Amino acid sequence: MATKHLDGRICIITGGAGGIGSNLCRVFGEQGAKVVVADTGFDVEGRFGMDASKVEAVVQEIRDAGGEAVPFVGDVADMDTAERMVQTALDEFNGLDVLVCAHGILRERMIFNMTEDEWDGLVRAHLKGCFAPTKFASIYWRANRDGEHRRIIYFTSDAGIRGSAGQPNYSAAHAAKLGLMRSNVGALSRYGVTTNCIAPGASTRMTDRGRAVDASDPAPSLSAAGTARDPKNVAPIVAWLASDQSDTANGRIFGASGHRISLFSEPVLERYLHFDEPRIDIDKLFEVWPQTLAAGGFPRNSIRPGLV
Amino acid sequence: MAQHLQGKVALVTGGAGGMGSHICKVFAEQGAKVVVCDTGFDVEGRAGMDPSKVQAVVDDITAGGGEAVPLAGDIADMDTAERAVATAINTYGDLDILVCAHGILRERMVFNMSEEEWDGLVRIHLKGCFAPTKFAAIHWRANRDKGNRRIIYFTSSAGVRGEAGQPNYSAAHAGKIGLSLSNAEALERYGATSNCISPSASTRMTDRELGVDQSAPAPSLSAAGSLMDPANVAPVAVFLASDAGADISGRVVGSMGGRITIWREPEWEQTLWHTEPYWDIDTLFETIPHTFELQGLGPPPPQYP
Repeated sequence: MATKHLDGRICIITGGAGGIGSNLCRVFGEQGAKVVVADTGFDVEGRFGMDASKVEAVVQEIRDAGGEAVPFVGDVADMDTAERMVQTALDEFNGLDVLVCAHGILRERMIFNMTEDEWDGLVRAHLKGCFAPTKFASIYWRANRDGEHRRIIYFTSDAGIRGSAGQPNYSAAHAAKLGLMRSNVGALSRYGVTTNCIAPGASTRMTDRGRAVDASDPAPSLSAAGTARDPKNVAPIVAWLASDQSDTANGRIFGASGHRISLFSEPVLERYLHFDEPRIDIDKLFEVWPQTLAAGGFPRNSIRPGLV
Repeated sequence: MAQHLQGKVALVTGGAGGMGSHICKVFAEQGAKVVVCDTGFDVEGRAGMDPSKVQAVVDDITAGGGEAVPLAGDIADMDTAERAVATAINTYGDLDILVCAHGILRERMVFNMSEEEWDGLVRIHLKGCFAPTKFAAIHWRANRDKGNRRIIYFTSSAGVRGEAGQPNYSAAHAGKIGLSLSNAEALERYGATSNCISPSASTRMTDRELGVDQSAPAPSLSAAGSLMDPANVAPVAVFLASDAGADISGRVVGSMGGRITIWREPEWEQTLWHTEPYWDIDTLFETIPHTFELQGLGPPPPQYP
C-alpha cells in the first residue's frame, strides 16, 4: 500500500464489533491507526448478550493483519464506562485523535404501540452513547488544547434526516445526534476538533429486520459481501473524515451507501414572510399564507433524498 | 371576527410558560377548548410543582369567555401524558391539536455537563413530546375518519444550528424534528400533520443568556409589544393548528416578531459515485479536494431563526 492515511492516529470506534463498526476497525487498522475496539456484543435490540469474544475477534483480525488494536467491552452510554474507554486510549496508546460513535440498536414500533422501554432504551443507547464519550474525549482535548486534527464522527441515519414511520425513537435519536454535532462545532472547534455525521446504508443484522425480509430465508446480510450493500463500503469516507486531511469538514452530514458517497446540505431557510408590525394579525396571516409561504405547495419529496 | 379554531380541542403543554400561556389564550380566543398543561416548575425543571400557575391561565381564559381546564403534571411521565389526553377526551369529547411548548434549560459546555443535566433535559424535552404524541395517536387511530389532527412541537434554533453551551438542548431539539418527521409519515393516514415551530421570544428562558446583566430587571419583563414579545409566536401556531394548515407537514417553521420562516431539511448537495465493488481509499482521498471541498465543507452561515 502506498500511503497509510491514518498512520499513528489513535481512534476509538464504538459499535466496533458490529456490521459497519467492525469494517471500520479493520480498515482503520490497515490504514495505520491504533484502534480501541469498543462494543458490548449485545443483541440488535440492545437488551442482552454482553459478549467480549466479538470484540476480541475484531482485535485479533487487526493484529493478524499487522495492525494495532485493543479491546474495550462495555456500555458506552454509561458515564463511568465511557470515561474508562477514553482512559483506555490514553493508557494504551498515549493519546486520542478520533472518536467514532458507530454503536446502535433498533427497536421498531409505530408510535401508538411503542412502549416506554422501547423509547427510553433506544434513546439512551444511541444518544447518550454519543454524549458520554464526547464529554470525556473533549475533557482530554481541552486539557491538551494545542492539538489539531481531532475528530468526532457520529453515525446518524436517513431515519433521522427524513423520518421513518415505524421508528419514532430511532428517528428522534438520530436527528438528535445532528443537533449534538452542531453544538460540538460551536464548542470544540477551538480545541482542534471537527464533528461530522455519517448516514450509512448497508446490509447488516439491523437491516435483516426490514419488513420485506422473509425471516425464514438466510439473512440478506450474509450475502452482502462484494455487493453495493457491503458494509465495507461505508469505511472509506469515514477514513477520510478521521484523517488529518479533513480539517475543512465540520458540522456536515455525509451519506455513505454502496457506491454512493453524498454530502448533505444543512437545514436551509427556504421561504420567509415578513410583516411590518411585530404582532402578526391572525386574519391577515390566514389571508396571505396561500399566496406567500405556501406558494408552490409543500411537496413532501422535496425534503428527502432519494434512496439508492 | 372569524374564529379559526372554532370547536377544536387542544392540549397545550408548557401552557403556563412564557410562550405556552399566550398560545393557550389565543387558541381560546380563536374558539378552541384548551387543556392547559404544565408543572409550574422552575426554568431548570428541578423544583416547584405549582398548580396555581396553570389555574391562573385557565382563569384568564374562562374570564374572557373561553373554555379551558387545568392539568398540572409532568408530561414526560407516561401515565401523566395518558391522563392529559384523557382529560381532553373526557372533558371536551375529543382531541384535535397537540401543542408541545413545554421546556427547560440546563446550560453547560459538553466537557462540564453532568449526567443529570443531560438526562433530565433530554427526558423532559424529547420524551415529553413522545409521551403525549403516543396517547394522542392512539386516540386518532381509533377515530381515524375525522381528520385535521395536528401535532406542533416547539423546537429551537439551537436544534437547527447548534448552540455551543447547550449540547443537551441542541440534541433534544433536533431530536424533536426527527420525531416530527417520523410522525408525518406514520400518522398522515389518520389525518394528522406534524410540524415544528422554532420560536424566538424573550421569556424567563432567554433571561439567562450570556450578556444579560443578572442584577438588572429581566429583559422578558419589557418584551410586551416588541419584536421579542412571546405573544408574536401564537399566530403561526394558530395557522398550523387550523384546518387551513392541512397541507404542511414535516416542516420546521420559524417565528419571531413579524417574521415567519420555513426551513428545508437536509438533502443531497453533491454525490460521488463509484462502480467497483469497493471504494478505493486512495482514489477517494484524491477525489475529495476536487469535488466536495470545492463547495465548502464548513458549517453554513447563520440564517434567520
